[in-house]
Amino acid sequence: MHTIRLAGGPAFGCADGDTVLRAGLREGLGLSYECNVGSCGVCKFELVEGAVEDLRPDAPGLSERDRRKGRRLACQSRPTADCVVSMRLDDAVRPPVRPQQRTAVLEAVRPLTQDMSEFTVRTDGAADFLPGQYALLHLSGLGAPRAYSMANTANPEGIWQFIVRRVPNGAGTAALFAMTPGAALSLDAPYGQAYLRPSGRDVVCVAGGSGLAPMLSIARAFAEGPADDRRLTLYYGARTARDVCGAAELAALPGFGTRIRYVPAVSDPDDGFAGRRGFIHTVMAEDLGRRFDNCDIYCAGPPPMTLALEDLLIREAGIPADRLRFDRFF
Amino acid sequence: MLYLCEVTDVAEGASKRIDLPERPPLAVFHLPTGIFVTDDTCTHGLASLSEGEIDDGAVECPWHQGAFDIATGKPCGAPCTIPLRTHRVVVSDGKVFLEE
Repeated sequence: MHTIRLAGGPAFGCADGDTVLRAGLREGLGLSYECNVGSCGVCKFELVEGAVEDLRPDAPGLSERDRRKGRRLACQSRPTADCVVSMRLDDAVRPPVRPQQRTAVLEAVRPLTQDMSEFTVRTDGAADFLPGQYALLHLSGLGAPRAYSMANTANPEGIWQFIVRRVPNGAGTAALFAMTPGAALSLDAPYGQAYLRPSGRDVVCVAGGSGLAPMLSIARAFAEGPADDRRLTLYYGARTARDVCGAAELAALPGFGTRIRYVPAVSDPDDGFAGRRGFIHTVMAEDLGRRFDNCDIYCAGPPPMTLALEDLLIREAGIPADRLRFDRFF
Repeated sequence: MLYLCEVTDVAEGASKRIDLPERPPLAVFHLPTGIFVTDDTCTHGLASLSEGEIDDGAVECPWHQGAFDIATGKPCGAPCTIPLRTHRVVVSDGKVFLEE
C-alpha cells in the first residue's frame, strides 16, 4: 500500500498493483477520466514527488508535447513509492458509484451475431452501476485489463452482462471467447461518465458494433423508469444485415412500439438489407428531421462513428457539449 | 468589421478572452507570427482556452491539456478531436478586428 497526496488536496491509499486513477476513484474523488486504458488522454497528471511505473509507455493519450512536459496518465501509472501528484479535481466527475475489484465467475455465453456474443458473469454481492457504465475485466494471461460496457441494469443478484465482438487478432476478445462457463475472472467496476442522466428530454441512443451494450443498458433503464411522455430511440448501425443486433432485446421492453423505438441501418450498399441504408449518424439525423434540441444523445461504437456524430452534433448543429455523452476509447 | 481589442492588450506569447453580446466568447492570441482569433471554449469540455498555456503555436486546454493549433484550429493533443473554429482577423492601426 502506498499513499498518494494530491498537491494542495487530500491524500488516499493506493493498494499494491492499483493505478493512481482507480485508487482515487475508489476514494470517491472527482478525478477526470474517460477510457481507463491509456487512449483518451483525459487523466493526465504531473508527478511532483515519488515514483510510478508506466504500464503503457506508448499510450496514445499522451502527445510528444505532453511527454516533453513530464505529463503522465493516471490510469497507466502504478505507484512504486508514496507519491505527491498534481491533478485537477472536479466535483462534476465524482464517481456516483465507487468502483471496486471483485472476483467473478462466467455463467453463460449466448451468441448474438456471426461475431458478437453476450457474456453473463456473476459476482458475490450486488451489481451496482449506472446504465451506460463499463467494467474492467482482468482475464488470465493478459497483462492489461479490457474495458467492456454492461448491457443489463443494476441488480442485487450480482449479474453483469457484456456484449463482446470477436476482433481478429484481438488478444482480449480471444481470451474471452476461449472461456467456458465456470471460469473465474476479476471484475473492476463501475467506470465511465456516459451514464444515463435524469432529464426532461427525449433520449437518443446511437450504437455500432458492441457499442450496443451500454445503449441497451440505457434503453432497459428507461423502460424500467416512470412511463412519462418522453421517448427513446435506439439507432443501430451495422455493416451488413448479418451484423444487425438488438431488435429482440428492444422488442422485449415494456413500452416498445410506443415510447421506445429501434431503428437499424446497414452501411454496405450491396447488402440485401430491407431496412434503412447509410451511416447511422446520417440515418439518425434524417429520422429526427435534424432537430436535436429536445433530446439527450448517448453513443457508443467504433471511433469513426463517434467522431462523425461529434462533428455533426457539436460542430455543425451546435448542440451544447453536455447533450452528447460518450466515453472516448481513442 | 468588429472591434475586439488593442494589439497592446495582448502581450506576445499571451492570449485574451473577448466576450461580445450574443455570440460565443472568443480568444485572441498573440504569436510571433501574428494575431490569431479562435473560439474561446474548448471543443472537448467547456474550459476557457484563453486560460491555457501557449506552446509552440498550440494552445493547451487548462482542464485536460488537450491542444489545438492556434492558426488552423486543428486538434493536436488528446482528448480534443473536434477542430476549434478560427476567425479571420484584420489588424489596423494597432487595433484588432474580426472580419465578418
